[in-house]
Amino acid sequence: MPGSLDERLVRELSFPRERPWSLYDHPNLIRVASVLCFLTAWEIYGRRTDPLLLTYPTAVFWAAVQLIRSGELFRQLLVSLASLSVGFGASLLLGVGLGLAAGRSRLAEALLDPHINALYATPQVALTPLLMMWFGLGFSVKVVIVFLFAFFPILINTASGVKNVSGSMVEVGRAYMASEQQLLLKVVFPAALPFIMAGVRLAVGRALVGMIVAELFTAITGLGAMLTLYGNLFETAKMFVVIIVLGLLGVGLIQATQALERRMARWKETERAVS
Amino acid sequence: MALNALEQQALVEINPSQAKPFRLTDYLRLVRAASVVLFVVLWEYFGRQVNPLFLSYPSAIVKACVQLLIAGEFQRQAIGSLGIYAVGLGAALVLGILLGLLMGRYRLAEYLLDPYVYALDATPRVALIPLLLLWFGLGAPAKIAVVFLSGIFPVLMNTFSGVRTVSGGLVDVGRAYGAGEGKIFTKIIMPAALPFIMAGVRLGVGRALIGIITAEMFTAVTGMGALLIRYSSAMATDKFFVPVIFLALLGVILSGAVEALQRRLAPWKETERAL
Repeated sequence: MPGSLDERLVRELSFPRERPWSLYDHPNLIRVASVLCFLTAWEIYGRRTDPLLLTYPTAVFWAAVQLIRSGELFRQLLVSLASLSVGFGASLLLGVGLGLAAGRSRLAEALLDPHINALYATPQVALTPLLMMWFGLGFSVKVVIVFLFAFFPILINTASGVKNVSGSMVEVGRAYMASEQQLLLKVVFPAALPFIMAGVRLAVGRALVGMIVAELFTAITGLGAMLTLYGNLFETAKMFVVIIVLGLLGVGLIQATQALERRMARWKETERAVS
Repeated sequence: MALNALEQQALVEINPSQAKPFRLTDYLRLVRAASVVLFVVLWEYFGRQVNPLFLSYPSAIVKACVQLLIAGEFQRQAIGSLGIYAVGLGAALVLGILLGLLMGRYRLAEYLLDPYVYALDATPRVALIPLLLLWFGLGAPAKIAVVFLSGIFPVLMNTFSGVRTVSGGLVDVGRAYGAGEGKIFTKIIMPAALPFIMAGVRLGVGRALIGIITAEMFTAVTGMGALLIRYSSAMATDKFFVPVIFLALLGVILSGAVEALQRRLAPWKETERAL
């Protein structure tokens, strides 16, 4: 039936079909505009300033092209990633291992925790000069520094995760004659996994900081060394390239850990901030 | 309660031992103390046998500490570091909370600023140190900038997410009773977001401490970080440990103080976001 009362009313009152256009519904528009404004202002202002101090976006872009073409960026990135992964791997193994021990046995905890708390309270950067004295300026010192930066969040989160495992689960396991090893692998470890992963996520960021600090001070190889080198040469554009790569690396690593966390420990989302 | 004759006889025959058997886990404090003492003794013993250029030992460190304190050099550098730390951290707290409140409350501010905030937050701040030194020189301004940048993001991000979690109902009730925007901020949003803000402050305090140490180590002119570099280059390992211990104590005191403040200011809720 054409033109029922309702339809006529709607037509006559002429309700708008859509919501009125609002800037708030397009957050990305605002974001893009904000970034474009910033980049343009930077470009204009940067070109007028002494290039020794401030660079500008197009110069950064060409510096990036140059660094990629010459292969230097990838070479140094690989060097950095090597020490990062070895150091982080070691802290993962030792952190989870000792954390399981400290969480499971009160004796181990009492033996370990004064030392762990003391070392954890010490800002690890303060130890880097000593470590450089002990381990030199090469690959090994970077691994040790990355290890020290990443180790404590993993250890502390693992221990508190293990302590958090409900006692009745362990008792049921024991009642079914599980050995201590089976208890650890089949009951305690899976139950503590969300905590462990939260520690790993914190540790990844800190490991990256450790890597950069180590390379800044040793200043021989790696992305951090590139920063020091180009800083001394006043090549600001190239410094920005390295900073951007490090930022992307940070985002990538954190995202990867979060994805892993969701996959491995999706049944529970707990965390303890320890940074 | 008197036992009857039969019970007394039974008790004598079964003869339960009066004392609990000795178990190490009943004396955890003792184990902890023993662990520390053992460590110190071993360090003293082996430290004395190693070349003092590489490793010191506890009694030498105590001696060096007394020596440095008497000379007054240490206090002067410590006060310099603390002053810079306070200025940078103060600025980070004020600006972090302000921007966090703005971004949490107004979507326009959020969309305008969040590209930069996320980008800078993801970039490891240590990577910015060489650039900041290039811009601000080797003096106090550069260090203040490093401390500021290290401290602001945890505060900002936590304030932001704290404001976002404030229930809309609370704000609506405030508005219904005729509260202006200023009142809504000070009487509703701030108190509701306070636990988050304090958690961010706690993270920021620690990050800023790492920031100042790294900056001072890198400039190596004044402050605790410079002392670390000076003593390690001079291979004076005994003196090197004095600022390390000072910094560890400072870290413990600061985070303890923030935690106490957190309990006082925001005792009703304990939430935090690990960054």
